[in-house]
Amino acid sequence: MTDNVLLELRDVGKVFVETIALSPTNLAVKEGSFVAIVGPSGCGKSTLFNVIAGLLRPDSGEVRLADQPVTGATGHVGYMLQKDLLVPWRTVEDNITMAARLTRRVTADDRAEARRVAVQYGLGDFLRHYPSALSGGMRQRVAFMRTLVTHQQLLLLDEPFGALDAQTRLEMQQWLLQVWRDTGRTVLFITHDVDESIFLSDRILVMSPRPGRVVADLANPLPRPRDIATLTDPQFNELKSRIMGLLHGVAT
Amino acid sequence: MSGARDSGVARPVKSFTYRSVAGPGRETSRRSGKWRAVARNVGIPILSMALLVLTWEWIVVGFHIAPYIAPRPMQAYEAVRSDWVTLWPLVLATIRETIYGYSSGALLGVFLGVVMAKVQFLQRMVYPVLVLSQAVPIIALAAPLVLILGFSVVPIVIIVAWIVFFPVTVNVLDGLSHVDQDLLNLARVYGASRWRTFVQIEIPATTTPLFSGLKIGATYAVTGAIIGELVASNGSSLALYQEHANSNLNTPAVYGTTILMTIIGISWFLLVVGAEVLATPWQRRSVARRPWRRRREAALTTAQVEN
Amino acid sequence: MRFNRLGALAAAGSLLATSVVALAAGPSASAASPTKITFAYDFPGPDFELTPLVVAQDQGFFKAAGLQVSVVFPPNTSTTTKMLATGSAGIGFLTTTDMGVAVDVGVPVLSVANYSMRNNWALFAKPGTKLTAANLKSALKGKKIFSYGDTWTEAMLPFVLKKAGLSTSQVKIITDPTGNDLTDLLAGKVDFSTSTTNYEIPGFQGSGQKGQLTQLLGTAAGAPDIPIWVYAVTKSYANAHGANVKAFLTAVKKATAWAAKNPTKAAAEFTKAYPKSGYTPAYNQAGWKLTIPFLTNTHGQYFTQTSAQWSTLSKALKSIKLISKVQSPSTYFTNKFLP
Repeated sequence: MTDNVLLELRDVGKVFVETIALSPTNLAVKEGSFVAIVGPSGCGKSTLFNVIAGLLRPDSGEVRLADQPVTGATGHVGYMLQKDLLVPWRTVEDNITMAARLTRRVTADDRAEARRVAVQYGLGDFLRHYPSALSGGMRQRVAFMRTLVTHQQLLLLDEPFGALDAQTRLEMQQWLLQVWRDTGRTVLFITHDVDESIFLSDRILVMSPRPGRVVADLANPLPRPRDIATLTDPQFNELKSRIMGLLHGVAT
Repeated sequence: MSGARDSGVARPVKSFTYRSVAGPGRETSRRSGKWRAVARNVGIPILSMALLVLTWEWIVVGFHIAPYIAPRPMQAYEAVRSDWVTLWPLVLATIRETIYGYSSGALLGVFLGVVMAKVQFLQRMVYPVLVLSQAVPIIALAAPLVLILGFSVVPIVIIVAWIVFFPVTVNVLDGLSHVDQDLLNLARVYGASRWRTFVQIEIPATTTPLFSGLKIGATYAVTGAIIGELVASNGSSLALYQEHANSNLNTPAVYGTTILMTIIGISWFLLVVGAEVLATPWQRRSVARRPWRRRREAALTTAQVEN
Repeated sequence: MRFNRLGALAAAGSLLATSVVALAAGPSASAASPTKITFAYDFPGPDFELTPLVVAQDQGFFKAAGLQVSVVFPPNTSTTTKMLATGSAGIGFLTTTDMGVAVDVGVPVLSVANYSMRNNWALFAKPGTKLTAANLKSALKGKKIFSYGDTWTEAMLPFVLKKAGLSTSQVKIITDPTGNDLTDLLAGKVDFSTSTTNYEIPGFQGSGQKGQLTQLLGTAAGAPDIPIWVYAVTKSYANAHGANVKAFLTAVKKATAWAAKNPTKAAAEFTKAYPKSGYTPAYNQAGWKLTIPFLTNTHGQYFTQTSAQWSTLSKALKSIKLISKVQSPSTYFTNKFLP
């Protein structure tokens, strides 16, 4: 993590009809950091992501990436959902190179990199498989690789492990941390799971609904690298009870 | 390991898995599975056809039905075989009309489906007209076509296209309207232009409904060609041959040519199914076949990675 | 007691005797319920050639003969023979060529009376076209000739072509079983149409076009002068219900004669009986009037058939390969049911 601010939100707000989905929010995210966002439904976290990604234009404020205004513009972040959104008619390799196919031409370099990434992260034998032959966890990994090869500094991950069982989720979390360490990207990670948010992040934003807003911005002091033992660390539980209090005190 | 589906570890996947065209069949090992599937998909229909023919023979003979009412299967076959020299060019003509009419209809159907999916205003205006077009009985449509265009192959091709385009249009429209919105959003986030999104995501996503429409159209295409021939052909066509046989009480020829028309229809349908199988390998396979240009690259890269 | 038993026996016996007598007396005892006959026309809908049957119904000739006739229409022109063969109709209306073809494939049909006596089939062209027996070859060469694909037209055209000295490849015969020959002719889709004079001329009059349709009778163009339409039954029907056939023909003969004498009234009766036929009253009247001259032979007789007509027909059909074997005339017809 460096001290450069990669992402900056200035007074970004969004209103849908009569509901304030997101009240004007200010946010600064340092390059290379891992930020978790926790909150119940309707707290504005997905709206926040969509504004950053350029899918929604905010009603107020601006979004800046590497000090460049990017409000409403697309093509500058990596983006992942709970659904892997792999296209069934393409092989794993072709799915990984999807971004290039959608914006320019898929070059031999793109394909070589896709192969390299797949081999590196354990799916080298499945490059020519179709997504239907892969399990859920494998498919999410492919989706992540697809996101990685876009070379975007900022990655927005919206509950990517939500559909997986607890055991797989743990494996995927460890895998994600390893990839994050290797690539040094900046990650914004939405989750419902408080444990997950503490396990992964350097910083946790707690959001609440009506109106959607950030109610707490907590630093995560737990040392890295993190492993299973971290889950039973007293600092972990302290942070967890603080967050739970914020969530449940709010959600009345 | 429990919960194998989402365990993050691959299921044991064989290098070749064959699934039947008809639906999700059991996964079987390479050689014996393939032949068993062939036996199932081809053998059983053939068996049922054979039973049908036998039943036909038994009914005609058992009930002493006069040949001018209904012939025995062998007589129908003989009627066709003996006049094959005359019939073969007529069959070719019918096939040609089917091909031209079907292709025009399919292309028109796709075009209309795409245009209506993309331009809401046009959809509201054009869709009811299209539905109306299908409510017109083909025979009623044929007469003015002949008066305008004369007795030639053109009205016939138009009639076939008329029948074929509608199911294709409806299916393409439905397919394009129901592409996963999250997937479209993802493409936008990647910075894809609308054209790219259309070509790389919306069109492939519509393949399944498209082929449904194409298969439905294929079923009716030959019937359309026959009706067209009856009304608009220049003088010699399969339909008129049959009509002539009918008025001459040559019932074996009537039955024989009917079977001939049915075979043409079925063959056309199977051709479209074959095209579907070729165009949608991901519905049947777990692993893609290696395209030729990739082989060299793959070999090189694997070597690089392994070093 | 004994008397009672005897009485009962006597009563039963006389009851039995009466019923036996009643049964033996048969139809004459039940003259109140007429014999039902199903009559099948040769065309999917009614037209003015059905006028004699309509008159027979309206004027009570059927009733007087003890008959109740229902007229049915086949789905297409080649089904009448099959309807007779399967028994769904008792008496039918056929062309002589259909008869010839049917007998050839083994359908046991039998012609019991001529409807018309002469051949009024003709070639037609737009007004102003030159079409005579002399210029037949040049007029027809390379031209489009309409055919309904029926056996009669197919039997006639070879005679015309032979007289013209043309082969079938030198003309374009457009076969359109579902179309209308006059519409196609007037629209210019064909150069010549083929039909019979009693149908084509009223049709042309009804189209509102100026002038007169060019016409060349088939007989002037090489076709044999044989009757077109007949009344027919199956041989088994003739054997089992000969009385019906005779009664039918008696009634229809009276009706035909009446309709010939009162053409306007007869046509009006047809229009009234079939208001939804699709034809105008004017068409029905003109058509019926044009049909009348063809119904009697040179002796002024209705219905009478000749061996010569059937022999000419069967030889003609054989020569154009429409049938495989020429049968003796008596296989095709009988006059024994004529009134």
